[in-house]
Amino acid sequence: MKQDFPIFSRLVNGKPLVYLDNAATTQKPSCVIDAMSEFYSVSNANVHRAVHTLAGEATEGYEKCRKLLKQRYNAEYAVITSGTTEAINLVAHAWGKHNLSSGDVIVLTEMEHHSDIVPWQMLAEKSAIEIRYVPVTDGKLDMDAFEVALEDAKLVCVVHTSNVLGVRNPVEDIISLSKAVGAKVLLDAAQAVPHELIDFRELGADFMAFSAHKMCGPTGIGALLISNDAFSEMEPFMGGGDMIDTVTLEGSTYQTNEHKFEAGTPRIAEGVGWAAALEWISNVDLEAHHARLLSIASDVAEQLKNRGMAVYSSLGPGDAAVVSFNHPTIHPEDFARLLDAQGVAVRTGHHCAQPLMDKLGVSGTIRASFYLYNDASDAEVFLSGVDRVLEAMA
Amino acid sequence: MSWPVAIQELIEEFQDIDEQFERLEVLMEFSEEVEELPVESWNNHNLVKGCQSIAHIEIEMVEGKVWMKAAADVKMVQGLQGILSIAVNGSTPEEVLELTPEFAEEAGILNSLTPSRSNGFRTMFDMVQRNVREAM
Repeated sequence: MKQDFPIFSRLVNGKPLVYLDNAATTQKPSCVIDAMSEFYSVSNANVHRAVHTLAGEATEGYEKCRKLLKQRYNAEYAVITSGTTEAINLVAHAWGKHNLSSGDVIVLTEMEHHSDIVPWQMLAEKSAIEIRYVPVTDGKLDMDAFEVALEDAKLVCVVHTSNVLGVRNPVEDIISLSKAVGAKVLLDAAQAVPHELIDFRELGADFMAFSAHKMCGPTGIGALLISNDAFSEMEPFMGGGDMIDTVTLEGSTYQTNEHKFEAGTPRIAEGVGWAAALEWISNVDLEAHHARLLSIASDVAEQLKNRGMAVYSSLGPGDAAVVSFNHPTIHPEDFARLLDAQGVAVRTGHHCAQPLMDKLGVSGTIRASFYLYNDASDAEVFLSGVDRVLEAMA
Repeated sequence: MSWPVAIQELIEEFQDIDEQFERLEVLMEFSEEVEELPVESWNNHNLVKGCQSIAHIEIEMVEGKVWMKAAADVKMVQGLQGILSIAVNGSTPEEVLELTPEFAEEAGILNSLTPSRSNGFRTMFDMVQRNVREAM
């Protein structure tokens, strides 16, 4: 598959690139790069209103992205956003502000990304809303504590698959338990959609947020899938062009579809690029690749443990192929730089999940995350790179 | 540009290295050049602000010469502090103020780091000059 990705023809520090920072962002296949380049070269125009040919092509290209999203994930509504973060913030502003008030309860978990913590803290500060955090025990959500936290909850926001631990939460149980108490459910699916095909309607969540760039699409674009029920309870958040029906000096009326949440000129080229990525990934057997990558990651985790490393990842069935680890004495940053010197790209730091780092009792980890184009030879290069680091730092 | 002998030697040592891994290994070896600032002396004044990781630098004047003590959690940052120590220790304040951080660029040290870390080197360099100026 690597031949579809031009970036793998380059060298990094004189070595072939082994890219293992996929949980941060994935590489782009030629079809995505070409689609965006062709859009700017041939069809560039603004969308939705002008009657000329280019505007028609641009609108068609951009709206194709939405159509593919709705088809692929079986969603009633797909609002196109700048990414997962904006999608979650959109829920906080467009739904939260109008449906939550003083004393209401939002349930979060200790393994949320900052983008699924901070918007709720900001909302809670203004409206005296209570936030309850479900603890993480041995790298997994404490489901008993979750059930206790659910009492009187109006909204449950849970990461589908952790960007640090790779663990896939029992979202089916989380949704049915939440529904039983009448709470709405938001899933942060940024790390989930790259690894599994989710049927949004069947799953039964109310909101699902994710980004294009973690599934071989462009940066700067993502989506919020919304159920019929939740959509009817949302009010526009940002005002401006494209989201209105009529504007007079006395007041305005708004569009009734997803456009009412997409004020201003949207990310047109990115939408065209994401559509290309969605078409490309629809020809990929995600399930087979997922099993293959999980097996590679599990092997890597074992090898790291054998070399004295602490491994924090779960790597059970359904989990993402993410290996978070630390050496007892070598600082993660030194480790990652020495790997980079050998052409191996990994992530270090708190991965935008400081509460989870606190729970793990570390300030950061080294994270190797695998994706579709990675293979066993990448794992071999990574491990021999690790050995060279250990030798140098001994 | 002509540099003081110690800096010129440092530049030549780095310029002789072809491989990035080796360059980083040598950088880390320079951590041994740092006179360590003990943890109990870490404070907000000697904290390197804007650095991605923990780093502290303190300047002392001994008989009119500049001496640097430093500490960091990342070995490569300790290495950068070691290089700074070589550049400034035993110099007069005037000599330190005449220095520019370009020597690290000429040696290829900064090119081998990410922008945030090479900015960190410049931040530490500026901090040393600022502290020297204050101590004059």
